[in-house]
Amino acid sequence: MTAAAKLKTWYWIHKWSSLVCTLFLLVICLTGLPLVFHEEIEHWLDDGKPYATVPEGAAPADLDLIVDKARAMYPKEVIDFVFMDDEEPQVLVGMAPSYDADPDLAHYIKFDAHTGELLKDGRTVSQDKLTFMGMMLALHVDWFTGLPGELFLGLMALLFVVAIVSGVVLYGPFMKKLPFGTVRAERSRRLKWLDLHNLLGIVTLVWAGVVGVTGVINELATPLFGLWQATEVAQIIAPYKDDKPPAMPSSVQGAADAAGKAVPGRTVISMNFPGNRFATPHHYMVWTRGSTPLTSHLFTPVLIDAGTGEVTTIAHPPWYLTALELSRPLHFGDYGGMPLKILWTLLDLLTIVVLASGLYLWVARRRANDARIAAMARSPVAALEAGAPS
Amino acid sequence: MSARAPFLKVWGVPGLLGLLTAFGLLAALLGTGVWHGLSWLSLSIPILVAARYWIAPRK
Repeated sequence: MTAAAKLKTWYWIHKWSSLVCTLFLLVICLTGLPLVFHEEIEHWLDDGKPYATVPEGAAPADLDLIVDKARAMYPKEVIDFVFMDDEEPQVLVGMAPSYDADPDLAHYIKFDAHTGELLKDGRTVSQDKLTFMGMMLALHVDWFTGLPGELFLGLMALLFVVAIVSGVVLYGPFMKKLPFGTVRAERSRRLKWLDLHNLLGIVTLVWAGVVGVTGVINELATPLFGLWQATEVAQIIAPYKDDKPPAMPSSVQGAADAAGKAVPGRTVISMNFPGNRFATPHHYMVWTRGSTPLTSHLFTPVLIDAGTGEVTTIAHPPWYLTALELSRPLHFGDYGGMPLKILWTLLDLLTIVVLASGLYLWVARRRANDARIAAMARSPVAALEAGAPS
Repeated sequence: MSARAPFLKVWGVPGLLGLLTAFGLLAALLGTGVWHGLSWLSLSIPILVAARYWIAPRK
């Protein structure tokens, strides 16, 4: 291919990958703005009871006690998970009408981690989706449609990555004769915005690339997790295939303690209950995390036999789950304090300008072409002298 | 003029800003304390560069 033909091909790739994804990406960037601050906003909107004041180093409440309280509140329901926050003294107990019920009917109850006192009886997932933050999340992730929406927006994010790569290829020839940072503001509005599109695009390149790629990976969470369950987890539970799941699972606190002992130096963060789709019918799946900045994002699951209360095995999540776990902080920007969140917001705003200017350039270019064609129709010779439409 | 000069002229600043961004993203992920500070600093630079040329363009 000649250089000109190559350039045309890359231009075509850039134009179409951007055009298809831009409107979705604009929604994703806009809804991403409040989502960066979801912790702060949720904290601010929280209407639950405040945490008990306890002396430094106070012992946490027994998990069995907390889970029994939750069971007593909804005796006909099942326990999905227990989540022990290490940022705040809270224990969340997730419940659902049954293990194969519509995930929208799930809900959680918040307890004080020290006293075991009930702090808040939370909304169901479907009610949560109608709150402001719930809507922001749905528009960001799946448009209220679950897996199909996740895969579709994942595809849009992939097109965004293609647009970034092709945009970088085009940046070279466009900037060959111009010093970095040139914005030709006087000649025409289109030229000014072309230069700004190139400038802001190249400046945000690595950030947008990382957030784009990790966005694709996050949208693949459901199939990636399913793949792991169908491979490593399926092997672990193969010996149980003739057993009946325990009627009443073993002690919750016992399972958490056993898991903590099995992986010294790691902290138990949450546990999925036997029967829940993230556990197995026979096991608690206890998630532990490391203590360094990096390993605090990497989870090691420990499977606890819910009949005996003993450790069955420490699982070794494959590389694609590690990639998924690292894709969360790198996408959310929640791993470097408030200044990082503010930087995330500014880079997001710059990306919105890149998207909007790209859309404007496409419209303006079409308009310019239409005008040239109209001029040609009026006076073919003059138009030819002025140059044919590109 | 050598063949390298135009390449650096086009890609020098974008390459540097890209490296700063990558460093900033990883520093906060791998470290705490001073690494968070370095992360904030290095991620601010591309934003400041964008603002500088947007507000006062090079003609």
